[in-house]
Amino acid sequence: MAKNNKKKVFALRLVCSRMNFLYQAAHLMAEGSHNTLGAYYGKLCRNVGTKAIMHMAPALKRTLCKRCSLPLIPGVNTSLTVPQKKDQTAPATDPKACKKRHRRQRRKKGEVGKAKVQPKASTVDEHTPLQLECPLCQGRRRFVVDSQRECWIEQPQALVEVLDIEADEERQQTQAQPQPQSQAQ
Amino acid sequence: MEPLQEFITDLVVPHHRCNVNIIPEHITMLEGAKSRKQHSRKRRSHKSSTLSRREYARLGLNTLPTRQMRYEQALPLHQLWRGYVREHLGLREGDQVPEVHEPRYEEFSRQLIKLDLHGARLQVIQSKCKTLEGLAGICVMDTKNVLKLLGEDDRLRSVPKSECVFGLTLGNMQFTIFGQHLNIRPAERSVKKIKTYVQPFM
Repeated sequence: MAKNNKKKVFALRLVCSRMNFLYQAAHLMAEGSHNTLGAYYGKLCRNVGTKAIMHMAPALKRTLCKRCSLPLIPGVNTSLTVPQKKDQTAPATDPKACKKRHRRQRRKKGEVGKAKVQPKASTVDEHTPLQLECPLCQGRRRFVVDSQRECWIEQPQALVEVLDIEADEERQQTQAQPQPQSQAQ
Repeated sequence: MEPLQEFITDLVVPHHRCNVNIIPEHITMLEGAKSRKQHSRKRRSHKSSTLSRREYARLGLNTLPTRQMRYEQALPLHQLWRGYVREHLGLREGDQVPEVHEPRYEEFSRQLIKLDLHGARLQVIQSKCKTLEGLAGICVMDTKNVLKLLGEDDRLRSVPKSECVFGLTLGNMQFTIFGQHLNIRPAERSVKKIKTYVQPFM
């Protein structure tokens, strides 16, 4: 049982490192404004995951465009916007929920409208839709600011077991090291 | 609408024609296409969340321009790949390629075939096509039959896998890869079962 489990973990490790690499490569390419390659690596990362039945963390998955898998980096690639409703002006956004990204983007853009909104930002505004538009395929992704709802995987109850692969490897190596000595003797 | 009303009244017996009362809402027009407004609204609501293969190709995501990317721009990718290989093969400084008789060998070669080649510096050692020999570059794209190498002269070249033997240098290690056995889609390679014994060609 333990052996089988170990094998499984080992097989997953290879896929995991590959997906990690592809995700990083996609980000690298997207930052260097090679959108085609970024989308290609993103797509491949996703495909590898589906083939090996491995899930990306939802936080990472959200950064990829849903249509063309291009990493969407607000401030570099796209901008995080609040779509204006018909009769309302853009409401203030909750700085806590939309994290660092939004703050950075706001600083970079420094728009007049945003600057006006900033003092209001302390008021918690739930259910504000935030929108990201993909520069490549014009697909839009919407995120609603809502601190009440959280994805199941991101909740602490969802965590069952933590497998430490590196510790496993070290144990293997300590096992492997005595062998050559015995051969020498 | 009016010609239609005339037509219907014509069908009725003449002395009853004054009693004919046509409600325009009850008339359904069959001929002609739908108005443009209706069409566009429907299409917008149906804009799918996924790209179809045709749309994907139309965006130019399956192809890469020959001269756009510079070699220097691919170097960070290469650096990233080096780190990835270290992690993937579990290498440390000064590691040697395991010999055939070592127990580690089989596992190592199994890991090697599952390696991702994006960002690797490859060189064509041997090929059926003599002009391809000696080409070197960073692999940017990997499809089922073709590797796209970005050479130092900033040109992107497609090299068919099945006809070539590739060389891969990694620190003090050197690998020879028979391209024939790479003829799998890159996404499937990580789950594909590999035969323990394969014949090299040539």
